[in-house]
Amino acid sequence: MMGIDQSGWITKFSAVVRYELLWNIRKKKFYGILIVAFALTTLALAGSHIQSAITGDPVELNPDFVIDSNVGLGGFGFFLFAIVTVMNSISGEFESGTIVPLLAKPVSRTTVFLGKLFAAFLTLLVTYSFLMIYMTIGGFLIYGPQNNLHLVPLSLLGALFSTLIWISIVLLFGTLFRSSLIAALGALGIWLGTNIIGSIIGILAGQGWILTYIPGSGNSGSVGGNPLVGTPVSTGTDNIGPNLINYILHPSWNVTYYKIDLIQSSQGMPVWEALNTELLSTVVLTSIAVALIYFIVFVTISWFVFRRAQITE
Amino acid sequence: MDLAVEVSNLTKRYGSLVAVDDLDLEVKLHTIHGFLGPNGAGKTTTIKMLIGLLKPDSGLVKVLGQELDWDKPSLRTNVGYMPELPKLPKYLKGVELLDVYGRMFGMSKEKRESQSRELLKLVGLEGRGDDLVGTYSKGMQQRLGLAQALLNEPKLVILDEPSLGLDPIGMVEVRDIIKKLAKTDITVFLSSHLLNEVEQVCSHITVIDKGVALASGSIEEISSKLKAPLEIEAEVDNLSEAVIGNLKKLSFVKDVFEDGNSLRIKLGTREDVRSEVSQAISSGGGIILSINLKGGSLEDIFLNLFAKNKGGEQ
Repeated sequence: MMGIDQSGWITKFSAVVRYELLWNIRKKKFYGILIVAFALTTLALAGSHIQSAITGDPVELNPDFVIDSNVGLGGFGFFLFAIVTVMNSISGEFESGTIVPLLAKPVSRTTVFLGKLFAAFLTLLVTYSFLMIYMTIGGFLIYGPQNNLHLVPLSLLGALFSTLIWISIVLLFGTLFRSSLIAALGALGIWLGTNIIGSIIGILAGQGWILTYIPGSGNSGSVGGNPLVGTPVSTGTDNIGPNLINYILHPSWNVTYYKIDLIQSSQGMPVWEALNTELLSTVVLTSIAVALIYFIVFVTISWFVFRRAQITE
Repeated sequence: MDLAVEVSNLTKRYGSLVAVDDLDLEVKLHTIHGFLGPNGAGKTTTIKMLIGLLKPDSGLVKVLGQELDWDKPSLRTNVGYMPELPKLPKYLKGVELLDVYGRMFGMSKEKRESQSRELLKLVGLEGRGDDLVGTYSKGMQQRLGLAQALLNEPKLVILDEPSLGLDPIGMVEVRDIIKKLAKTDITVFLSSHLLNEVEQVCSHITVIDKGVALASGSIEEISSKLKAPLEIEAEVDNLSEAVIGNLKKLSFVKDVFEDGNSLRIKLGTREDVRSEVSQAISSGGGIILSINLKGGSLEDIFLNLFAKNKGGEQ
């Protein structure tokens, strides 16, 4: 056949990546969340200036601003970026019927699935990189020369890893139910469950260790005193970046977990009861292992379901 | 290998509904094969099994000599497929879509560019390639759907209702494209419920209902098997009411259609009655320029088959 070569897997894989990237960069909701992310980052940068305008105190230089602020990205941000990047990736193809001409091409479903996943990763890599460069330059201009800038890429890596967990959850719902709405709402349910309800259970019942083994913000502990006076540390998959940086800067940190003593606290100030202590290195390793296991399990289930899907659309 | 598609004992169920029931089908290479049936007959389900979009419950499917295996991409390398009312990604431009699909076929950059240019021109979308698919009308999306099906210069093109949603001019244009394909080496498997369209472009047909093939073969073979009534087509000068009146008096003439100098005479017999017809025309003052005996129309074949099928059920 003239003009056709039996090209390799890489060519077909990159064709799917291109197909998905062209789709991603033209989504209006993607630009919406990007504008919100830049607005929030700007707000974080301008925070001390706003405070200064209110209190009249001068803005102080802070050489750790960029690293301490995790370059402007956090749990709900990861969740939102995951939603807008992949909520339509597979379910949208089924809903719109575009899955039919796509799967009629000589590309295996595994290639299509992996291509879409990689395109989501690339989209986030570029987006987060821009945000981090913006935050770093902004931090330098507003708060003076910054320390430990060599750790910024680690923060980027952590942010990507944390978002991939949410991506795998959104993909799982999208593939199982072939509905973008269920993909978004299902993931939102898990986010709310782990972050809000989970935190309440952790603080009040002292059973926060459970949260260490599920995706999200994880258990809350602190270093150097109870949560009111110490440095807070969250153990979950949303905090891999900051925890990695903290471990590199403070390898001997121990994280102590507390619960509120409800009986004594009812008489005045909250009374914290220390439960247990563990090394920060253990926290980091556990969160990475948990993230990896969930990512592999969710992505494998999604791939398996997609590969066997009957295209009735 | 002289078959483009070979299907035997193919069955597909959706719960208790049997969409395709023990279907046998053969599509010869280098033919235009019509796949006819009413809505819900199982045409699209069968096609989706040929492409690997649906997994058969049982049966054997061979496409271009290769046995179908679940999610076997190489099977589709030489196959072009235009789905019924194709849904194409609206975020891509026309040329981007053809370029990405071309990459999936492993086509070189030069080939992708030249094919895109040629095909957009062929389907009447020249000058609209840089617009987003989302801005295309339904008819334009249908045309783009046809272009992407021909992108890889396939050996087999499967077209599922290619004229659906097109205006009359678009339908004629699509038909002309299919006729052009007939002059090449390409095999076309055309699913349609438009008998007129199939009659104009197809040499072979398979008629399907409720997932079962009622008949398959060349139109002449099926017509002969079914003993469908014949037709006479004649070109006549001095065509007058007297000629039409004489023809209608003949006992074996069921109906007469007049279009300028052309006459189409539907017969109630399979006998060659051209001499009697010629005599009736001449005695009415008509001058016969040509007179031909034709097989039954596709409409007759179709109605005949469904009448038999219904009779068989009762």
